[in-house]
Amino acid sequence: MAEDKKNVGDLNFPAELRYHKEHTWAKLEDGQIKVGISDFAQDQLGDIIYIELPQVGDAFLQGKEFGSAESAKSVSALFMPVGGKIVAVNSEIEDSPELVNQDPYGAGWMIVIQPDDVKELDGLLTNEQYSGQL
Amino acid sequence: MSNTIYSATGCTRCKIAKRCMSELGIAYEEQDMKAEGKEAFQKFYAANRKAIYRGADGVEFPIFSDGIVIRQGIGPVLAHLNYQEKLNGFFSVGSLHKEWVDGIHISGGNPEYAEEFLNVLRYLKTNNMKLQMDTDGRNPAILEKILLEKLADVVIMNIKGPGALYGQIVGEAVDAADIEKSMALVITAPAYRFRTSIVPVFREDGSISYLQPEEVAATAKWLDQVTGNKKLPYFIALAKPAELQDERLKLAEAMTADMLFRYRTAARNHQVLVDIEKA
Repeated sequence: MAEDKKNVGDLNFPAELRYHKEHTWAKLEDGQIKVGISDFAQDQLGDIIYIELPQVGDAFLQGKEFGSAESAKSVSALFMPVGGKIVAVNSEIEDSPELVNQDPYGAGWMIVIQPDDVKELDGLLTNEQYSGQL
Repeated sequence: MSNTIYSATGCTRCKIAKRCMSELGIAYEEQDMKAEGKEAFQKFYAANRKAIYRGADGVEFPIFSDGIVIRQGIGPVLAHLNYQEKLNGFFSVGSLHKEWVDGIHISGGNPEYAEEFLNVLRYLKTNNMKLQMDTDGRNPAILEKILLEKLADVVIMNIKGPGALYGQIVGEAVDAADIEKSMALVITAPAYRFRTSIVPVFREDGSISYLQPEEVAATAKWLDQVTGNKKLPYFIALAKPAELQDERLKLAEAMTADMLFRYRTAARNHQVLVDIEKA
């Protein structure tokens, strides 16, 4: 069960992604950035029962909170890895939040951002840097 | 209406609630949020999130719902299963764990239902739970029965302020003799402590100001006079205006923990062990 926390070495941090220190990942796709939470974040939360996402059109600066993920044990704020406008949200995870536990880098993605400055991506952590801070 | 109990695997309080429902002949469906009921709980939570209390350690179980009413925590669930709305005010969702149950408010409910309230406490005790209760001094007759039957393991008395301000603070006329009787009873509990929250108060001229250090000193003195003991565990806490019921009091500017030092100094003239909330 997700409540049994894994060791960091057993978690997955794909090398093609960049990571915000507050446990969101970012992936550049056709000039836009797809965002979700890391395997570490979903593992720490345990079984996610509710996800609050922003609306398309909302805009946030880098590092600002854009939503929250809730499990029975805790609530975790979700932070923008880069600043920009929300152009898509994954409504499937609102109905099936377990997708974030099951596939945090795939079906469990959360939002797509049109970045204000795509160079902000360069300041994020690599998978090695991110796993090293855990 | 169908009754559902949302539980967590291994949750002792959930087992007590289920046992109670079985004894009362109440049909119910169980949804264990860590097992086969995970999806059902997700749906229930998403639909009722604002009605579900979340403490420092997350969502408290059991949660009971009949489709209309939601009750959360062992005290409120047992009270509802046995007596529906009669015991409103006596129980709230607690924050203690394992065998300890809190969120039991001796002064919070209608004293006409004292026996029903005691029945719920007895049920919890027979299920090996330890009970931490609080009182603001009202309903001393109930407190007396509780102590006589050894139902309380810890009693916390929230002394709202000096006698002259008590009624204003609790929002209804109060007999000072009730408060004094409770003070005297509390010190016979197996474990106890007293506390006063520094709340904003309506003054006679219509203004609003926080309890003053000299008023807390008068409260500490009152406690000494009634109990004959200057060495009682006495805690001074910050009130959070946003959590007060009266909208006008919510507007009061919040105090900071460093402001409590003056209160401690004043109260120590009468209760030498007084402590204050830290930042």
